[in-house]
Amino acid sequence: MRRTRCGTSGGIARRAELSQAELGARVGRDRAQIARWESDAVQPAFETLVELVEACGFELDFVLRPLEPGRTRDTRIAKNLVRSPEDRVRKLLRRLRD
Amino acid sequence: MADSARTRFDPYAVLKTLDRHRVTYIVIGAFARVIQGSEELTRGIDIVPSTRPENLRRLKEALGELNAQRDDGRKLRFDEHSLEPMIPLRTDAGELKIVPEPEGTRGYDDLRRAATREPLGQGVRPSVASLGDLARMLGARGREIDLENLRMLRRVIALERSRGISWER
Repeated sequence: MRRTRCGTSGGIARRAELSQAELGARVGRDRAQIARWESDAVQPAFETLVELVEACGFELDFVLRPLEPGRTRDTRIAKNLVRSPEDRVRKLLRRLRD
Repeated sequence: MADSARTRFDPYAVLKTLDRHRVTYIVIGAFARVIQGSEELTRGIDIVPSTRPENLRRLKEALGELNAQRDDGRKLRFDEHSLEPMIPLRTDAGELKIVPEPEGTRGYDDLRRAATREPLGQGVRPSVASLGDLARMLGARGREIDLENLRMLRRVIALERSRGISWER
């Protein structure tokens, strides 16, 4: 019997020692759908993710934390890297004007 | 004489003039780092020219067209045998530094191998030093003031790698 390691909730499912079929039965989905989530071919909706986690005997918890300075910088750099060199120069000139 | 306090920084004017005079050079420094993805502010361009006599002659002509003047008011002289490590200039289009041999490198021939042509629009495609070489230069300077820029550049390199883009060209 294949033990599930669902891509999104894989760690939790693994800890719960559930097979794809068992997890599918608990959330009313077939084994193939669990397999798709497991392989990250598709992502479950947020509500479904909550359901999957609960079916494994856990609950999701969220913590809001202030963004660390390093992460803010990374976000800015990541945005910059998506820009073309031409756009990066345009942005510099715009910042100098402002 | 160009006054940098009142001169609007126009990198396109500088680069177009250099290209018009067929000057061979590589862009380094803060402007190069911005082109490569770093977030900095600069009002000038630093270049490493090829120090071949013919290229220095072309560079001198281009600088004449840009009304380049030395910051210290001294006369501008170019001689391949007596080039200063860094020549800070003011031009009609902003600050321009001529750096024949940046710290941590052996000059133009060293940097050109990894440099890439970057399209900046308006038909301008200068050779820009690679991220690796830009970090090498900043690291070699070892100045406190450069540390934050070096940290940022290293993050650019790490993020480029994580995006699967080859930056060591």
